[in-house]
Amino acid sequence: MSLRLRLLLMIGVSLSLLWGGVAVWMLRDLDDEMRRTLDQRLAMSARMVAGLVSQNPAAWDTRSGTTGISTLTVPATAKGIACQVSSLRGEVFARTPGTTPAAIATTTPGFAEREIDGERWRSYTVEAYGLRITTADRLTERDTLLRDVMAAAIVPFVVALIGSLIMLWIGVRSGLVPLERLRQTLACRAPDALTPIPDAPMPRELRPLVDTLNQLLARMREAISRERRLTSDAAHELRTPLTALKTHLQVARITHGKDAETALDYAEEGASRLQHTLQQLLTLAQVEGPFSWDEAQRTDAGEVARLAMRDAAPNTSGRFVLVNDDPAVELALPQALAVTALRNLLDNALRHAPAEHPVSLEIQSTQDTVCFRVCDSGSGLSADELTRVTQRFWRRDAGRGSGLGLAIVVAITERCGGSLALAQRPTGGLEARLTLPRTKPVSSN
Amino acid sequence: MRVLLVEDDDLIAHGIQAGLRARGLMVDGVKTAAQAEAMQSAVHYQVVILDLGLPDEDGMSLLQRWRAGGMALPVLVLTARDAVEDRVAGLRAGADDYLLKPFDLDELVARLHALLRRAAGRSVAIIEQGALRLDPERGEVTLHGRPVVLSRRELALLAALLHARGRILSSDQLKDSLYGLSEEIESNALNVHIHHLRRKLGADLIETVRGVGYRFNRVDA
Repeated sequence: MSLRLRLLLMIGVSLSLLWGGVAVWMLRDLDDEMRRTLDQRLAMSARMVAGLVSQNPAAWDTRSGTTGISTLTVPATAKGIACQVSSLRGEVFARTPGTTPAAIATTTPGFAEREIDGERWRSYTVEAYGLRITTADRLTERDTLLRDVMAAAIVPFVVALIGSLIMLWIGVRSGLVPLERLRQTLACRAPDALTPIPDAPMPRELRPLVDTLNQLLARMREAISRERRLTSDAAHELRTPLTALKTHLQVARITHGKDAETALDYAEEGASRLQHTLQQLLTLAQVEGPFSWDEAQRTDAGEVARLAMRDAAPNTSGRFVLVNDDPAVELALPQALAVTALRNLLDNALRHAPAEHPVSLEIQSTQDTVCFRVCDSGSGLSADELTRVTQRFWRRDAGRGSGLGLAIVVAITERCGGSLALAQRPTGGLEARLTLPRTKPVSSN
Repeated sequence: MRVLLVEDDDLIAHGIQAGLRARGLMVDGVKTAAQAEAMQSAVHYQVVILDLGLPDEDGMSLLQRWRAGGMALPVLVLTARDAVEDRVAGLRAGADDYLLKPFDLDELVARLHALLRRAAGRSVAIIEQGALRLDPERGEVTLHGRPVVLSRRELALLAALLHARGRILSSDQLKDSLYGLSEEIESNALNVHIHHLRRKLGADLIETVRGVGYRFNRVDA
């Protein structure tokens, strides 16, 4: 159900019920009040006639011999009201025309209702000065009067109600215009459009909605463009070694002898570069993705250092100088991740340090963390390069490494709650500090 | 045909050089935009292969600078970026062709020949001068319908003269299209090749313009 219909129904129905209830209540009050007023007037007329008659009692004195009925002249418009003056014994002295005396007069004073000749009358009888005075209203007239009064009261009510409903419809319609405009704007958009919703003037209530939507769209735009850039970078990184591989294979096919052999050697180099890049990309996807590692295995820092050094330089691990103050300290992350992170740092150090120069690895543990400090004596990095070095696919020299090593280290620290700090050493070369969380020691008691 | 290859990745550069040499093209490889600019102004090249990701400068801006400076050599851009915008930007910057890595060596050679052909104002691959026909891509030459066997250098020399379409080429220009930078050239090597060509195709085919250079003369059918 649309918001507009809902509003219209809710307000319209409650408004009609309220107004209807008030109308019924008012009409009932009006009805009672009218009857009471008419009765009072009936009684007042009777007393008034009695008062008038008392001013000249001789005229009505039966003993004076003046007998006979004097008929009051009543205008035709006053049809339906009647009056009769009689003695207590029942002799009628005067009455309005068209009324049978026997019928209208009652012997008991006060209000009475009777049916005379098929018409209902309401009468009031008063006894005073030896006379009985009765006034009466025909109920048909009374009902007509009541109906007229009620109609006069109810018509403005109904008009007001209908007017309110129309106003309500117009109000709801124009009140919901901004919402409708927003709906149209949204409906006109392409399903995959990521452009922000135009900043049109709108009510305060809609503003947070549109703002939130625009923020969400901006975040999505950014995420998609980052993803696109990454995909394009990854494609570039994979294409380069693939190109080398393919070109050399083709050269090997069209050349002979030593040239062909050289080409095959180069092709192999291209293949291993491709393999390395693929492996790094997969590692990165694994570290960032929802994959889990074997967490049950104990990860101690000494073992991590040993494995990382072995992986980084299978043949020349003699270049590493290891300083470890507490070999048994346990790390709170899967061994594979810790080894990968440390190996990438050692890889970089080996690559950038001059050949035969040692690379030092120090392990320092604190209460909560273990810090692996890798120092090389290479050329180090400039301040600008230091800010970019952890970006994916950033490399100082083309063709050396995948450009993903440090990005993987950062991803691992982000996943496990560690940190990576790179700094230029005062003596030249780069110092990398990889801080990883440590398993909480189990208290002895 | 002498080609300048601007590619910073050693492995790829080696591959392209070896492949193009095997296909009878002279290739000089450089790794940076600065080297490329120096070489381009020093040596008479027929075509440039340009990789866009260079360490010192973006290949695209080098190309723009070249074009702004009136450099008219055909340039084939070689890149791993395959987005349409990249290709359009490359062509707008003044590239004549665009090849995506990884490419096929034969396609690269065919495109280089096509570029050269178009630069020389021809629309077909085969160069015909009267009774002489040269298919530069296959390295086949026929005279009066009979095949003539030429060595690699002789072929390159003939192609250079034919591409010049009657213009006079200096001996330095001819040497540039025959030899790579690293090759040792004996002082009379060019004369020897010209002598061989004259012997195989007819003495009056290549005219010596004294003090200036050489010119190709039309062979009547």
